[in-house]
Amino acid sequence: MKLTRVKSEAVGVVSRQRPARSSREAFLWIAPAALVILFIFGYSVVTVLIQSFRYDGDWVGFENFSIVITDPIFLTALKHNGQLLLAVPVLITLAFIIAIALFETRRGMRFYRSAVFLPYVLPIPVVAVVFGQIYQLNGALNIFLKSVGLDFLAKDWLGDPAIALGTMSSVIIWKEVGFGVILMLAHIISLPNETYEAARIDGAGFWRTHFSITRPAILNTIVFYGVIEAITMVSWVFNYVYVMSNGLGGPGNATMVSELYIYRSAFQNKAPELAAAAAVFLFIATLVLMIAFFRIQRRSIAGTFNK
Amino acid sequence: MKTKTGVQRSKLEATFRYLLLSFVAITALIPAYIMFAGSFKTQGEFLKSPFGLPLSPNAAGYRAAWTDNFPNWLANSFLIVTGAVIVTEVLAALAAWGFARFPFKGRETILGIMVSLMVVPPVVLLIPLFQLGVELTLISTLRLVILIYVGLMLPFSIYMLTNFFKSIPESILESASIDGASSFKTFKSIVLPLSGAPLATLAVVNLLWAWNELLLALVFLQSNDKKTLMVGITGFQSRYSLDIPTVMAGMSIATLPLVIAYLFGQRFFIAGLTAGSTKGE
Amino acid sequence: MLIGLFNERGFANMKSRKAFAIGAVAMALLLGACSSSGDNAAESTPSESAAAFPTEDLTLNISWWGEQEAPGAQKWLEESIALYTKEHPNVTIEHVLQTTDGLIPSFEAAAAAQSGPDIQYFWGGIYSQQPGWDGHIAPISDYLSEEELSHYINAKVESGFQGKVWTAPWYVNPSFPLLVRTDILADNGLAVPTNWDELMKVCDVLSAKKITTIAGGVKDGWFGGWIYSILGGQSVQSQADVINAVVGTTKFTDPEHAGWWTKLEESKNRKCWNDDINSLELYQAQQKFVDGKAAMTITAGPDAPNFVKKAGGDEKVTIMAMPAWSDGPLAGKMGTTSQTLGITKWSKYPQVAADFIKFTHTTERLNAWYAATGSMPADDRFDISQVESASTKALFESALDGAPYLENFIPAQLDADAVFKNVQLVLKGTVKAADAAADMQAVMERLRKSDRKLVDNFTAWAK
Repeated sequence: MKLTRVKSEAVGVVSRQRPARSSREAFLWIAPAALVILFIFGYSVVTVLIQSFRYDGDWVGFENFSIVITDPIFLTALKHNGQLLLAVPVLITLAFIIAIALFETRRGMRFYRSAVFLPYVLPIPVVAVVFGQIYQLNGALNIFLKSVGLDFLAKDWLGDPAIALGTMSSVIIWKEVGFGVILMLAHIISLPNETYEAARIDGAGFWRTHFSITRPAILNTIVFYGVIEAITMVSWVFNYVYVMSNGLGGPGNATMVSELYIYRSAFQNKAPELAAAAAVFLFIATLVLMIAFFRIQRRSIAGTFNK
Repeated sequence: MKTKTGVQRSKLEATFRYLLLSFVAITALIPAYIMFAGSFKTQGEFLKSPFGLPLSPNAAGYRAAWTDNFPNWLANSFLIVTGAVIVTEVLAALAAWGFARFPFKGRETILGIMVSLMVVPPVVLLIPLFQLGVELTLISTLRLVILIYVGLMLPFSIYMLTNFFKSIPESILESASIDGASSFKTFKSIVLPLSGAPLATLAVVNLLWAWNELLLALVFLQSNDKKTLMVGITGFQSRYSLDIPTVMAGMSIATLPLVIAYLFGQRFFIAGLTAGSTKGE
Repeated sequence: MLIGLFNERGFANMKSRKAFAIGAVAMALLLGACSSSGDNAAESTPSESAAAFPTEDLTLNISWWGEQEAPGAQKWLEESIALYTKEHPNVTIEHVLQTTDGLIPSFEAAAAAQSGPDIQYFWGGIYSQQPGWDGHIAPISDYLSEEELSHYINAKVESGFQGKVWTAPWYVNPSFPLLVRTDILADNGLAVPTNWDELMKVCDVLSAKKITTIAGGVKDGWFGGWIYSILGGQSVQSQADVINAVVGTTKFTDPEHAGWWTKLEESKNRKCWNDDINSLELYQAQQKFVDGKAAMTITAGPDAPNFVKKAGGDEKVTIMAMPAWSDGPLAGKMGTTSQTLGITKWSKYPQVAADFIKFTHTTERLNAWYAATGSMPADDRFDISQVESASTKALFESALDGAPYLENFIPAQLDADAVFKNVQLVLKGTVKAADAAADMQAVMERLRKSDRKLVDNFTAWAK
């Protein structure tokens, strides 16, 4: 938390240089990074857009788009990304409860915090491989369930299309919740003591205190975390799905997601133009998230500059 | 917040809290435990009792993994991560200083857009970059992957460092410019020495991301001797699907550098990951 | 998927191989398909084969795979190179053994740059056709005589295209034998099933005793393609029927193409398979057979003798083709496919490359192949009488008169999107046979629209 401390003690820089010279100088400092960013993002997005309208060197209008959007597998993939978004409220709730429990805990707090945060540090491919073992029909989880007499709960976690996506999201939740806990805990700790004075005098209950006081006080962080996780569910689940379903998105199409669809179109089905069209659809879908993110960040950027 | 009437209730609450935390901690730790313990077991032991301790620990799994391609993959991962993290630090620090120190029209918007690029799914960028890589015969070179990683890590890095640079007290900088120091000299001799903690934090965050990245590495590093650990272990798990201890040993090797970094640099991890959200409250 | 993946190491990377393999194929297309269009292989003329053998110093590069499934192949190849270059001192031959993941990617990268190996390894069927259609290889039939090629097993049926032959078969993979543990059957008073109904009865008896009849794993998909080939092959007349369904003359819902789904469903309902078939990869599942926990399994041809050994030898294990459920001409036959070598379009010395390939088909080299690898060279001049093991001999003979390996005649995307996935679902019991067939037909219809060259290519292939 050193960083936060430095920041809060500091006074913002107010530059007194003349604008023209200032923007020229700024340009020189920013240019190297901007070039890389322009190349990686600008070039790629423009190229992918152009490509989505072409086939075999010819301009084909919206043909690629109409092929992709009528593909049941792509629609299934989008639906699954949507269903994964349902895990976001679960993540937020879990993270909030755990953060509060940690905040209220003196003894052993550091241990619990480290433990809760560990999954977030582990590589996703490793996590996916290990959970792949655990979730086998004759794997660790079912062995455990049977040993405590809960046989009826033992399922074919990754082999049954009805529950495979749920299983997948449980792994994502397991890995991502620690991040939320850390974010929220950091914010709760930084809240001034007075926040709780009134409640203390009231003798309000533990959960009520936190629900009615802490929750609104850290709303910014909750929203931030929610947006980050929404982004994860839409554009960063490839690693989990690829490893846990052997690159197929199966069983059937039960764990197909849009990233995997694009990857398979481009690199397995030799249809880069369809992959490009699907990528454009995905990009448009993430624009919504991008705008949300942009607004949050801009507010904070403006705050920084106006200090 | 414990009132007298609430003593009993708070005792109950404390019990509940510890139960909850213990449950969460066990859930969080057990897969790592299964992996690590499993890496020292035999296949039979693992299948019979995945939760048990390795009663007669053996390192056969590690030997098998190590004599496979692990040293090679590990070296590639180190090279890529080191290269990408260092280049990102340099470019991001320069750009962040530009943003923080020199006001210009549209600064907030440009920074805002740049930061929003974090949201763009990498899979969208994959196809054009891959084609370009083929044309330039840069497929299976570490250079191209490093460049792409740098591009993807820059938005957040610039954002974070800009926030920090803005917080450096003006008085310190003024004294330097009175001394007639150029802006580069100010940056080098005053700003950078003050920025150890945020630079370390940033390095840790980027390291975590680059080490764990799979999709891009999978596509751009096709030849076996250029694979990173993450790509390597993805194929490794099916190659040794009959030998789970070896798979688990491989996974442990891939995880260990990160866990060590985490244990020693937990402070930086946490600072880095919260930096994006606690700002601008 | 194909035959490539047979033994432990080869199998290993099935998933990533496909990912990379096909991923790499995409490279060339990704380049905008500009390099691939116009360049039709039919342009080359047989006159080249008449050209005099070059006398200048030259180097050939071979990029290959196969040590993984036929251990000993490398030793044999190095030996062949030594012998050949001794005969032709001006020729130097270098070879690179590719990894499973690296084989096709490195070829496609070479194709994109139009430079690289002179001789390249390809799997059979669609996998040797596609590079031909893309203009990356010159037909081997431009350089080898028809008489010579007529001895190469599966050359015409898998690599033939409009009277030409793209690539030269190297060695054969009998695909895919059913391994039966006679000891387990005998313990339960059962005989080796000779037809489908008997097999189902075996399932009934064994499942009642909680014994798995056939061990399989479909989590990684490939096994679905195998099952399609060995069950679906029984109701078609030839591979041409399958190509007809691909181009749309017939449908995958027609009885000849859909019947096997019903049989698959039946096998699921009769509890023939291990209960965790959906959560295991194929190779993990085959281990149940070795461990004596399953009465049967299906393995790759070259690997079958190893499995027999591991499971207790010829007294305990029989190798056979999948029992027939239909009276079609291919029912009850073993499938057969060949792994091949092709000459790249950019090779400067195609006639030398062809001459070397021809050299590897001399009697001495064919025998040396068998001696080095224990598997079957793809040449009918190979004298099978030298094979001592009865089960291996039977395996080779069945491959000589084998059925076409169907999976090699459908688009790879149909295989993955319709076959792999519906086999998973039918075996899980969530999809009925008729719906699986309907879905396969739907995927095919979509594919004809989304892959805008597919119909032309397959139509031309069928001619």
